Amino acid sequence: MEAKYEFEKKFREQILQCSRCGFCQAVCPVYGSTQRPGLNARGKMLLLKEVMDGNLPLDDQLTESIFQCTTCASCFENCPSGVCVPDIIKQARKDMVNVGSCHPAFEGMHKVLQKHTNIYAEDEPEDFERERNKKAEYVYFIGCVGSYREDESTLETLDLLDRLKVDYTLIDEVCCSGVLEDVGYNINTNLAQKNMDLIFNTKAKTVITGCPYCFRTFNNKPQYGELKENGVKVVHITQFLQDFDFSVQTDKRVTYHDPCDLGRHCGIYDEPRNTIRKIAPNFVEMPDNREGALCCGAGGGVRGAFAKNSIAMARRRLEQAEEVGAEIVLTECNSCVHNLGNAKLRKQKFKIYNTTQFINQLMEEAE
Amino acid sequence: MKIEQYNMPDDLYYEENHFWVKEEGDLLVMGMDDFAQTMAGEVVYVQLPDDGKKLKLGKKFAKIESGKWLGKVYAPVNGVLDSVNEELETNPGLINDDCYGKGWLYKIKPSDKSELENLMKGEEAVTKWVLADIEKYAEE
Repeated sequence: MEAKYEFEKKFREQILQCSRCGFCQAVCPVYGSTQRPGLNARGKMLLLKEVMDGNLPLDDQLTESIFQCTTCASCFENCPSGVCVPDIIKQARKDMVNVGSCHPAFEGMHKVLQKHTNIYAEDEPEDFERERNKKAEYVYFIGCVGSYREDESTLETLDLLDRLKVDYTLIDEVCCSGVLEDVGYNINTNLAQKNMDLIFNTKAKTVITGCPYCFRTFNNKPQYGELKENGVKVVHITQFLQDFDFSVQTDKRVTYHDPCDLGRHCGIYDEPRNTIRKIAPNFVEMPDNREGALCCGAGGGVRGAFAKNSIAMARRRLEQAEEVGAEIVLTECNSCVHNLGNAKLRKQKFKIYNTTQFINQLMEEAE
Repeated sequence: MKIEQYNMPDDLYYEENHFWVKEEGDLLVMGMDDFAQTMAGEVVYVQLPDDGKKLKLGKKFAKIESGKWLGKVYAPVNGVLDSVNEELETNPGLINDDCYGKGWLYKIKPSDKSELENLMKGEEAVTKWVLADIEKYAEE
């Protein structure tokens, strides 16, 4: 029988490979906060198998399960059968959108990005008190969350770049639109072209991104292929900073939260730690770290569509920070900072920052 | 009073971003009004700053979020944050359930209570302002 949906054409063998062992359940952040087996990777694979077998229609009743996945890839990392669940989920979401079954939050996001330049439909971007679109050696690309939700962190990151005398410019950036690929749609090529044209106009040969997801999108998606063709390299700020000498230290107990988009999806684990160890000798790992890091719950569109569960996931992560007695929780992603910051309880006295923001504060204090 | 579908009690002071304020002894209690909570939808996060935070009239001191909406909270008067509604930390939906009661946000110790008079109060002023905002948001 011919496959009805793309996910089946592309991933049938992988879905059948799921041995239902449940290793994924132990590490799935959605299961961890909801305790619902239908929402973990194994549950999702079982549902999709039923769809392939013709026992279940691919329709609205699957929205809650298929669209409630942070695509953190923890399941894939721990799957003895090698089932790449995030890729399967992303394709299944596209199939669902094609048959008219989509979570309304993502349908809304898709519409917003047809009219607006960012996922929040904000019309007045922060200017961050800096000239934009200059000729410079580097472009600093902020991303939507850094521009509209974590603007204070972004401002401090830019202050740090100034302190380090980096020749950079901001541009009139628009959403990279990579997130659309995660939630059932495709990258908006108009937005991609606008970003690339603005980058080329600056003559910069390196783009530094503050957002790990923009970093992945620019480097991996064919819609941004012109960057590479024109000799423009894209690095994440954690890679850019690791060779700097900051000449400041803190005696506070510091831990690090690996963002899934930087860690499991890009294999960037050592660069942030190299930098943090320079400034924080009292560094401590959380129980789940590096490849095994627990997701903050914000990815895959889950923060937008299932905000309460998303924050509950972040709370589980912060329990680990509390467990190791951290005074400072550092990370390298504005979405993680945002969700962890929203989840922090008043009784939890640690502070949560992007590493850049924290280093800037240390340098400012030392001046 | 009811202005279209929105409940806007007569005895409260209102600031232009749709937060209400009322006197409670030496303190002022502040919350989100019915228009704002309806427009925002399900509130998922309320920033609850530490007690004792200094508040400067018109300056942002907290954030509120619902899904994709982010609201900034501005100080309605000069003063000091006395306390916050800690229930909102784990149950921000109280704002949607009971925005003038259990969903209150902050208690403020004002430097000068007479600054309340800069806020809106009374049927005429409140009705004009809410109707204008209903029209404004309908256009967006």
